[in-house]
Amino acid sequence: MAYVAVKGGEAAIAESIKRLRYERLRERRTIAVKAIRSGLRALVDRVMSEASLYAKELAALAIKQAEGNPEEATFLLRAYRSTLPRKYYSRLTSMGSMFVERRISAAFKDIAGGQLLGASADYTHRLLDFNLEKETSANVRAWLAAFQREQEAEKPSVMPRVELPRVTDILRSEGLLRHMQQDDTAPRDITRQSMTFPAERSERLQTLTRGESGAVVALGYAAIRGYGLAAHPTVAALVVGRVAITIDYPLGACDSDDEALYLGQVRVTEVDAIIPAAKKGPGGKQEIEIRLGYGLCFGQNESKAIAMSVLDYCLEHPIPDSPVHDEEFVLTHIDSVEASGFISHLKLPHYVTFQSELDAARRINRGER
Amino acid sequence: MQRLRRTKILIESGLAVCQKLSQQILQKYEVTVIVPPHNGLVMVKVRDQAEGKLFYLGEVLVTECRVQIGTTLGIGLVQDHQPKVAYHLAVIDAAYQAELPEVEEWEGQLAAAEDDLARIQAGEALTLERTKVHFSMMNIEGAH
Repeated sequence: MAYVAVKGGEAAIAESIKRLRYERLRERRTIAVKAIRSGLRALVDRVMSEASLYAKELAALAIKQAEGNPEEATFLLRAYRSTLPRKYYSRLTSMGSMFVERRISAAFKDIAGGQLLGASADYTHRLLDFNLEKETSANVRAWLAAFQREQEAEKPSVMPRVELPRVTDILRSEGLLRHMQQDDTAPRDITRQSMTFPAERSERLQTLTRGESGAVVALGYAAIRGYGLAAHPTVAALVVGRVAITIDYPLGACDSDDEALYLGQVRVTEVDAIIPAAKKGPGGKQEIEIRLGYGLCFGQNESKAIAMSVLDYCLEHPIPDSPVHDEEFVLTHIDSVEASGFISHLKLPHYVTFQSELDAARRINRGER
Repeated sequence: MQRLRRTKILIESGLAVCQKLSQQILQKYEVTVIVPPHNGLVMVKVRDQAEGKLFYLGEVLVTECRVQIGTTLGIGLVQDHQPKVAYHLAVIDAAYQAELPEVEEWEGQLAAAEDDLARIQAGEALTLERTKVHFSMMNIEGAH
């Protein structure tokens, strides 16, 4: 049976769209895009990461239009992105010169440069703060002024280090972690060329970094619970900070780093996860090898970056029959727009296919062929 | 002053500093807009720190503008939708490319702006130091 297009319903659709706007506005309140950008920082970061587009103002606008639904906001931002020309590729963005805002290690108590808690909800009691219901602009200004005075009055006297060493260097210097060989092979770009399997490492990492946070975290969690990894990963370092984006000078030669163009900064979350693995040493002797998983994403998205590092490890070291080590299983199911798009299409008319299924069911139940 | 340092100072200092320098050129020279400010994307390339390979992190929204002074082109590129900043950056870039005499006078102003930025960044780094944690191991009987 062939597909049959349906038509009609234009007036109802127009009314439905009008109704959607009414639901957003029915309480006669509106949220300013700037308020979303500043007050819903975590959601803005999540949407930018999943949309794979760093644009805070546009992400805030998408969140407003989507009434706070991250999958819809991500869809809107991806759609807008597709209307813009890609002008340039950045020079290699250095994590080494990151302005660090937060840096913790679950592996080492003492790390060179120290552990910086930065801004984190990790140490809060998770009790609802009913004072926020009464928060006013005047309260906010007064709190900020007091905060500023306190920070100015009690500044530490020692200037922090500007460039911090990588925590994993401790393991490399001891020979517990193999030395990393830099490979400058041009990465593949999944937005330009559809991924095929087996995928290249650059395609895997690009897919993971733009994956839907819930999906990435769920699969990372499943891996640790026993559907993959046989070991407990340890976060060697989780770092949140701002990195500079630069490009080669487009109007002429750019012979040195100093002649590049600076465009601005993006906030990222980076994770090095240590995973011990058993291996056979000389003479068949059982040895433990320390391996790394890597996570890096736009914004402060800590659970996602940690889970990405776990999944990176899983996909780099396949285990037969384990879904989280199967790159096709992981990489084709974690994209927000693809997954929500497919699930969402189930709401659309399937009248012909469903009637066909019903006909078949009736025939079979009547004992017909 | 080399381009990377200059553009970092200008962009981090914001519109007021860019406009102040660019106005000096606009008042004295004929500046033609070749490509007006428009949005585009820059794909960000990074290196994974586990295997050392390159990959793409995602794209950044940028605004680009191109102008011409005499026969010399200048380009302004800045993150986000910032058409005015992109325009002034393009004028400043064209002035540097054309080696106009004004740019020599800017060195001092840019260095001063860089000092201001360094002070702000140092202040931020120092306040973040207040969240630095010093763990000490708990002495629990029976623990090993």
